[in-house]
Amino acid sequence: MYTCQDSINLLLDFLDGEMPAEVSAELREHLAGCPPCVEFVESYRATPGICREALKAKMPPEVARRLTQFLRSRLPPQGVP
Amino acid sequence: MTAPGPEGDKALLASAQAGNMGAFEELVERHRDRVYGLALRMTRSEADAAEISQETFLSAFQHLQSFRGEAAFGSWVHRIAANHALMRLRHRRVVQMAEEELKAPDFSERGTLLETPAPEWSKPAEERALDAELGEAIRRATDALPDAYREVFLLKDAEGLSYEQIAEATGDSVPAIKSRLHRARLALREAIDRFYKEP
Ligand SMILES: [Zn+2]
Repeated sequence: MYTCQDSINLLLDFLDGEMPAEVSAELREHLAGCPPCVEFVESYRATPGICREALKAKMPPEVARRLTQFLRSRLPPQGVP
Repeated sequence: MTAPGPEGDKALLASAQAGNMGAFEELVERHRDRVYGLALRMTRSEADAAEISQETFLSAFQHLQSFRGEAAFGSWVHRIAANHALMRLRHRRVVQMAEEELKAPDFSERGTLLETPAPEWSKPAEERALDAELGEAIRRATDALPDAYREVFLLKDAEGLSYEQIAEATGDSVPAIKSRLHRARLALREAIDRFYKEP
């Protein structure tokens, strides 16, 4: 019988779908009897998407202006020879 | 007007490869936010992120002719940015948070989960729309991850690189990358959960 700890250790492979059938069957069996772990799996699964939103950034206008200037000073006006 | 997304990128790329600088500048404009964002989160420095953005697009231009378009221009340029950010991190020695301080769930002696996730997690995504304070808490938690964990999390979960691409960029093994990604996710999950549970 898997414990919660065993199950949580396996979550990455479980969600990647890379797991031998008997291991995933045992994990599912634990989840079937453990509502807190089911909620944990949901929160683990949701984490990357929430973070991706939070980590989006915009280049500050001043940095963008300097980037354009830099590229214009380094690149040939007619592009690739 | 060029179409948005990868299809428009393709047309702009062909035009840039033929020597149209305006097309290259439009590609830069389309991708600079994500390049800057990745570099900023990787290095945690606005000055480094600005320089990495410059290096990335200069390098992209210099290799424009060898880019065959088998991958999307966006993924290609983000991989260049990831490599430049990684090089910079490798050359910088910073005080690292000890690995043991990575937050993970608590278990009883028998391996039972001691805490149930906050009820907010089960709400549909649009209802737990990102509030500014949660965003700030996530950025702090990401910045607090040790470099090797933060890198892997950003490259895989924020940029969508494959394990193999990350292994190639970092020189680490796929099992090591997966193990760090798992611990990084657990630490960020804890940070979000604690935010939800704040009174
Ligand atoms: Zn459990």
